[in-house]
Amino acid sequence: MNQAYHPEDDVLSFIKQEGTASEDFQPLALKVFRYQFTNNKAYQNYCQSIGYTPDTITQWQDIPAIPTNAYKFPEVPVVSFPIKQTQHTFLTSGTTSDQKGIHHFPSLTHYEVSILNMWDTLKVPQTDYAVFLTPSPHDAPHSSLSHMMGTLATNIADQSIWFHTPPQNQDVHTLQNLTAKNTPLILLGTAISFLQLFDLINTPIQLPKGSFALETGGYKGSQRQLTKEELHALFEQKLGLSSNNIINEYSMTELSSQFYTKGINQPHQAPHWTRIQVIDPNTGKIAPDNTPGYLVIYDLANLHSVMAVQTQDIAIAHNEKSFTLLGRDPSALPRGCSRSADLATSYA
Amino acid sequence: MILTEERIQLLAKASQHPNFVELIGELTEDNLSTWLEAELGSAEALETFLPHGNILSKAIPPKHVLHIVSGNTPHAAFQSILRGLILGCSNTIKLPKNGLPELISWLDTLPSELAQQTKLTSDINSIDWLTADVVIAIGSDTTIESIQKHIQPHQTYIPHGHKISIGIIKAITQETAELAARDVSLFDQRGCLSLQTIYVDESHGATAQQFAQQLAPAMAHFAQHTPPTPLTLSEAGAIHHFRETTRFLAANSTKTEIFESSKSLDWTIVYQEDPQLHLSCLGRTVFIKPLPSSFDLQTLGPHAKHLSSIALHPFDSETAKKFTHLEAHRICPLGQSQQPSLFWHHDGFAPLAAMVRWQDIG
Repeated sequence: MNQAYHPEDDVLSFIKQEGTASEDFQPLALKVFRYQFTNNKAYQNYCQSIGYTPDTITQWQDIPAIPTNAYKFPEVPVVSFPIKQTQHTFLTSGTTSDQKGIHHFPSLTHYEVSILNMWDTLKVPQTDYAVFLTPSPHDAPHSSLSHMMGTLATNIADQSIWFHTPPQNQDVHTLQNLTAKNTPLILLGTAISFLQLFDLINTPIQLPKGSFALETGGYKGSQRQLTKEELHALFEQKLGLSSNNIINEYSMTELSSQFYTKGINQPHQAPHWTRIQVIDPNTGKIAPDNTPGYLVIYDLANLHSVMAVQTQDIAIAHNEKSFTLLGRDPSALPRGCSRSADLATSYA
Repeated sequence: MILTEERIQLLAKASQHPNFVELIGELTEDNLSTWLEAELGSAEALETFLPHGNILSKAIPPKHVLHIVSGNTPHAAFQSILRGLILGCSNTIKLPKNGLPELISWLDTLPSELAQQTKLTSDINSIDWLTADVVIAIGSDTTIESIQKHIQPHQTYIPHGHKISIGIIKAITQETAELAARDVSLFDQRGCLSLQTIYVDESHGATAQQFAQQLAPAMAHFAQHTPPTPLTLSEAGAIHHFRETTRFLAANSTKTEIFESSKSLDWTIVYQEDPQLHLSCLGRTVFIKPLPSSFDLQTLGPHAKHLSSIALHPFDSETAKKFTHLEAHRICPLGQSQQPSLFWHHDGFAPLAAMVRWQDIG
């Protein structure tokens, strides 16, 4: 293959192309792997250390995945482009003493196209108002979540409203006023930010029919831990939203695509430009059917870093584009009097 | 309440239980008596007024001790309850979510005089909170903080929070690797006394990287005769992720190298030039680093404030004193980090003295 091949256009076309045949993923994934192997020295070194090169890989399932923590070393940047061309950098959340994950981009075109194309698959009707419970991209320029929200803001509703972080009483008044207009709304935020909002709502608000909520992220950094059923019960109680109108989003700073599910006990669906595997950490091989393991994601939109990423999240695979997310085994962390060294992966 | 002498006799016998022997070691009546003497001045201090300077003093044990124990390892729970029993207290033991079978098995065999002084519970009721004179908590810093909120002014709180231990090798001898493997691997590195990082003084020849290589067969040997207990999915995931992250670093730097059990997650050794103390993902995973010329809290970084034990090799008291500036609570010989003396000051507390109050005459 020509060493100068750049898959930007091919990947962009693939993302935009609805109804892409499943078998079309593999050839492009192999091209992207070759491209990243050639242009990302840190990734190349890792692949070689475990005995893989583009000449030895013949299927996407064998493309080496880097762990999310590999994004945490500033001296070894995970980039498939000259780092001087960096235009945007997203950072993972974390305490000041933790090293944050770093994801550099020379352009956010693929990232944004990925966000919007996957959103379209949800078939959520356009609303008059979108209410965001996260900081805006202006207030959090290094947060990939805020950037995603900002990208959606200009596309999913006629008007965007950004609540305070955390929400305040005046935001509840705003929500009441919006509700009085009797036109559907969409609310988007982290699960924690919704809990903070619910704490402020003393008199339940009945959102207009056709309203939706999108919640994302876990409860990291908070003392609270709710099951999905408990969270949805609060949505029903405080906002009158049923489970069918609640979307959960799964992603992370180290990726460029989103995975969605609606309701309770429904698997997350992967965009057509991604694939997933669940591996058994004891063997590093694919976990047996219906067995929990660690989620590995192959995301073509992650063109500028590394397509294949090993997460620290536990899931059960249903097929190569669908999984049930189980989160982390809470019984194992933290382990006794030894503080866990297992650095959490989460959205910034 | 039975007298101290009788409690000593009963506890010495109870210490012959195999679980107790494995975790703490068998204790003689002499051991226990000497321990009381070291902590309280005399083994009779709980029964009678004894001269204390120009006055007379008697140790008053707490009537009720609430032990909140963790599930990572039963060691601290055994130690804590032994302390409560030898003082003659009534002991309420809050078990972790998954229980502590080793402890329960021991408690089940206690003679009635001691057994009636213990009560197991999975939930702490308000009476236990109110009536406890002493609350001993073992667990994560989050647990310790949350328990702290329940403590009343009249109660003594003895927290055993997050701690880590390290090794220092001044010179490599024939048995060094075996001793280090034992301190890393024993009880699957679940306790605060398990070594997570070993520093090697390179001024005597062998490098830390060479020692890491030497340690590998010793870790394998230990795993052969003492296989690790099965890992949970999360534990296995943490080790797998740690290994791959390390492999990524090692592929991009000569300052990191990984040695590991093949086809299993039994043990992992990471050589790292960076002197900063990092937390291991556990599961018999240890960092090996060169001993830096400036070996101080600043060089070791923020985790150094949680130092429990330093296992030194070769060990002698004079060399040990050179590392007291690190403020670890204990400096011991390599190979013995996980089996502290009965007389040790657990996390800096004199464990019996910290529980008693004194009554004075004069």
